[in-house]
Amino acid sequence: MTTEYNPHILGFLCNWCCYTAADSAGVGRYQYPPNLRVIRIMCTGRLDPSFPLEGLAAGADGIFVGGCHPGECHYQDGNYHALISASLIHEMLERLRISRERFLIDWASAAEGPNFVRIITAFTAKISALGPLGQAEGKEQGELRRQLSLMVEAARGRKIRTGLINASREMMKTKDFSREAVSALVHDKCAKALSNLGAGGKYIL
Amino acid sequence: MNAPVLNNKAVSHSGVVMVIGGGVAGVQAALDLSALGYRVYLVEKSAAVGGVMARLDKTFPTNDCSLCILAPKLVEAGRDANIEIITKSELISLTGEAGKFNAVIKKQPRYIDSEICTGCGQCTLYCLQKIGDNYNENLNFTHAAHIDYAQAVPTSYYIDPKACLQLNYQTCGLCAVSCRAGAIRFDDQEEIVSIAVGAVILAPGFGRISEDVLRAYGWGKFEDVLTAFEHERLMCASGPTGGVIARPSDNCHPKRIAFLQCIGSRDENCGNNYCSSVCCMYAVKQATLAREHDPEAEITLFYMDVRTPGKGFDAAWERAVAENNLRVIHARPPRVENVFGGALLLTWADDSGRHHYEKFDLVVLSQGLEAPDEAENIALTAGIDLNHYQFAATGFYAPLETSRPGVYAVGAFQGPKDIPESVTQASGAAGLCSGLLADVRNSETVVRAFPAERDVAAEEPRVGVFVCHCGINIGGVVNVPEVRAYAKTLPGVVYAADNLYSCSQDTQGQLVKIIKEYKLNRLVVAACSPRTHEPLFQATMREAGLNRALFEMANIRDQCSWVHMHEKEAATVKARDLVRMAVAKACLLTPLEEQELPVTPSALVVGGGLAGLTAALSIADQGFECTLIERAKKLGGRTLLLTMDRHGKDPRQAVRELMDRARNHPKITVLTGVELANISGYVGNFTSTIVVVNNGAVTGPKGNTVINHGVVILATGGKPYIPRKFGYGESKRVLTQIELEKRLAGKKALPADCRQVVMIQCVGSRGDDLSYCSRVCCGQAVKNALRIKNLNPEVQITVLYRDMRTYGFMEDDYRQAREHGVIFTRYTPERPPIVAVSGQSGGSKPLVKVFDPIIGDEVERRADLLVLSTGIEADDPALLAKLLKVPVTADKFFLEAHVKLRPVDLAVDGVYVCGLAHSPKSIDETIAQAQAAGGRACQPLAQGRITPEPIVSSVDPDKCVGCGACEMFCLYKAIQIYKDGKKRKARTITALCKGCGVCAARCPTLAIDMGRFTYDGIMAQIHTFNPQGVE
Repeated sequence: MTTEYNPHILGFLCNWCCYTAADSAGVGRYQYPPNLRVIRIMCTGRLDPSFPLEGLAAGADGIFVGGCHPGECHYQDGNYHALISASLIHEMLERLRISRERFLIDWASAAEGPNFVRIITAFTAKISALGPLGQAEGKEQGELRRQLSLMVEAARGRKIRTGLINASREMMKTKDFSREAVSALVHDKCAKALSNLGAGGKYIL
Repeated sequence: MNAPVLNNKAVSHSGVVMVIGGGVAGVQAALDLSALGYRVYLVEKSAAVGGVMARLDKTFPTNDCSLCILAPKLVEAGRDANIEIITKSELISLTGEAGKFNAVIKKQPRYIDSEICTGCGQCTLYCLQKIGDNYNENLNFTHAAHIDYAQAVPTSYYIDPKACLQLNYQTCGLCAVSCRAGAIRFDDQEEIVSIAVGAVILAPGFGRISEDVLRAYGWGKFEDVLTAFEHERLMCASGPTGGVIARPSDNCHPKRIAFLQCIGSRDENCGNNYCSSVCCMYAVKQATLAREHDPEAEITLFYMDVRTPGKGFDAAWERAVAENNLRVIHARPPRVENVFGGALLLTWADDSGRHHYEKFDLVVLSQGLEAPDEAENIALTAGIDLNHYQFAATGFYAPLETSRPGVYAVGAFQGPKDIPESVTQASGAAGLCSGLLADVRNSETVVRAFPAERDVAAEEPRVGVFVCHCGINIGGVVNVPEVRAYAKTLPGVVYAADNLYSCSQDTQGQLVKIIKEYKLNRLVVAACSPRTHEPLFQATMREAGLNRALFEMANIRDQCSWVHMHEKEAATVKARDLVRMAVAKACLLTPLEEQELPVTPSALVVGGGLAGLTAALSIADQGFECTLIERAKKLGGRTLLLTMDRHGKDPRQAVRELMDRARNHPKITVLTGVELANISGYVGNFTSTIVVVNNGAVTGPKGNTVINHGVVILATGGKPYIPRKFGYGESKRVLTQIELEKRLAGKKALPADCRQVVMIQCVGSRGDDLSYCSRVCCGQAVKNALRIKNLNPEVQITVLYRDMRTYGFMEDDYRQAREHGVIFTRYTPERPPIVAVSGQSGGSKPLVKVFDPIIGDEVERRADLLVLSTGIEADDPALLAKLLKVPVTADKFFLEAHVKLRPVDLAVDGVYVCGLAHSPKSIDETIAQAQAAGGRACQPLAQGRITPEPIVSSVDPDKCVGCGACEMFCLYKAIQIYKDGKKRKARTITALCKGCGVCAARCPTLAIDMGRFTYDGIMAQIHTFNPQGVE
């Protein structure tokens, strides 16, 4: 009999929607798995792209970013900027051949405690099924950490961040905030910087 | 300074308000008045403020911890320099007139000096004389020298003079010997104090149902018959059993629990024919908690009607019943017997007349609310009228005003009501006082000063960690002592402690002491949510001379113990992790400079119906400019569809008077036929664009108008639900209650030869098209039935209902309707009435078929009129919600910031809600709520400035390369590029920054950081979240 893997999950919740939803889930006594550790931020727009990567490097098996529904951001478009950062994370995970499902960005309004619980319960089950980070991907731990650190450094670096600025600017211009459009933008603006990473793409496709 | 209002008020008005009663309503009124610029005397007859809410374990419908949400308010009132709490006191005379009263207070001695008492509790320990513990419903004992409860404000002990051996026989005095502070005063005397006040708010709360009524149900005779108040204390962690529901007879867990409703309510025999309005909800709350305490218990609730018409109540009730497997029986057992020995026998008859009997281990009596015992005295002293149930008599269109000008009544003294309604009324009355005394605002107040902040920049982090048990809310799940011990081992931590309730006033005092004693320079509180409690602890830090930014909370309740109730170990591990993360972040916190922003002293009210008109007048009367905008061409809203209230007056007349007052008020600008197109800014500084709708403005502006204002009130109202069944639209004999109202006011009120009228309740409501109860339809049906009976007593009226929700004094109308022969037949959603409309002309009489449970068969009625009691829908809030970033509920009503204690505030500062936009409610409730919104909205305006939390961005010019991305992405124009010599650099305009952090996340060189949410701070949290990742 296999016991279910008990994953480490790190969450970044915006103060106005998802963090409030999490509080209201508590007030309503809606139960969910105890794997999530929450870092409160005022807005998902504050999410530095290096945060989720550092989280994975620090031992998280999954990262959750929770904000307001699109169009309902307390700061108007912070969650769209979060989508830009999220697209970069997904892009990087794919290049590292780490399951992109380990990073989730989703929304729950302040009034949606049960929705928050549903999202977290499903995400926890998903990560539990994937198993420990690296193991499911068939990666050796030391190698995995090295690659993630490289990505953190890349996400802190000027080239990638300039790519994200360009993608954000484009997104604001086109007003197309669909995940597909945003990830295409980020792919387009950051591909070159990403491909040039780490000894000519030694670690990366 | 505020300019004097344009009126004839004498300058001799007093800027002082006296609030009688220190329950949640009184405390709220006091806090609001202080914030509005008035000095307050809060007069409480017991030894501590808090009232009944302080005795509750939980509050419905969310089952939030009662004391946890109340304590911050009590502490705030206790430390407010403009609120003087006078305990053990009562009003003995009130002379003078509105604006200049002279109030005389009789103050009983406490025998312990509050100023000196440290709250250590030695006196209780040494006191020889045991007395019943009134706070715990006399279920356990305390001593003659005691404090009511640990979190009591003032946090001072007192001596019960009736029991004290020294005071009565001069034979003890041990407390005086044991008190190291030397606070005992056996020679304390009664005092008579005379105070000049401008207005008085009466909030003495409610009284208890007489013991005779309870005895009829076996209370006092059988040990295991408890009142709901006793049961509440048994459930509570700080109660006599430490939170164990143990039945008194044998201390065992009861396995079969029955809740009996309407004890002392809806009962003509005891003189209380009214409905107490709160018991249906508190019973299901208690049943839910009894289930939490014992998953095996069989729990039964006996209801006459399930009266849960409040916002979100039906949903909460249904969820509680379903999830907790509660049995609900529609019956009223007449008595409790003990015939089998060791068990309590209940007998009852169901709807069909069949008799049942069953044994129970514990019977809880859901006792109603009565007028306070001292109601007559208060009325006599304050010179106000009472109604026939001894509650304060107030006007239907002036629900907070008593018969004496300048004296207001709020809370349960004005009629049975729940906490949010009491809080609402308190805020409303504070607003009315502020209107009455606008010319003397700030004349008697002092500005609260904090000690200078200690410079901690050069110090190593010295973190203090306080882990809260929150009664059993956290402690019942998380191993708090273990978390505390663990916290002590963390780097930077020099002090760790656990508290039963971290938010209590005595804990705040201890925090200040410990911060100083241990030279702490960072504070971590592991408790509830920073969203609700951060301001409280931050104020404490400022009292201790620390910058408020040096604070961090670990949310181990709302996001830990409450959501992992059945996984104690995992929850404890999580709590340890959250504390570790908070400490790691705290070590990196730095003090932040406070900023002060000016406030535009005017308001915008959206919606010109009853709620909007009332709110606008409240604001204008308080001396502030107000713009009232209405989408329709005329003011008045949908109250104009009602033709008579339950007292026989015409609501249209009342609304027209408000319209006239609003139009003629020098401080109100009325714009009709307009809409809010855009709004930007924040509390104190909103800018709105108002556009003309439909090109047909009558009195509106020519084009767009842009106005600046400090606050905004949403009073967008609701609309009648349009039914889609029961033959509506097919026959002219089928109409809604609203249409009936119009007809009844017309010349041909009833059709010729009208013999039979049928009314169907809950059409479209309660899970039909609308998921919620619309609250007003039962009362409206009864009112209109009585109107028809008055027109023609021969008309037979049948009301088909699910639960008759004639809460409060409306129960009188319900009884009267039955006495007049109106037939009430209960139907269930499974067997709804069936209506057949025949013929094409639309003139034929609809045939109504319904199953009558009393007859046990289907009955048919050919109705001359079929009246559908339809609900209320919210006006679509989507656009406003989006513009203002305020949340709405699934039912499309605006979601208040806190359902219990901030009932008219929205989550965004400076935005308030009232009227049907909040939830369905009656005329008087709407007026009180609109007055509350007006009162709350004037707080920032009266203060004239706001100090937002300094969580703004800052730019490191050395790292900045001047790319301008931050400037480009900042929607608030809070970042500017400037020239530093030849170099381009960014800088933050602090006053405009909202702290979102987009600039920081996008900065290519990480040159921008956010106050309190710094890059390094968040990284520290990331690095410490995983216990295995920490060395």
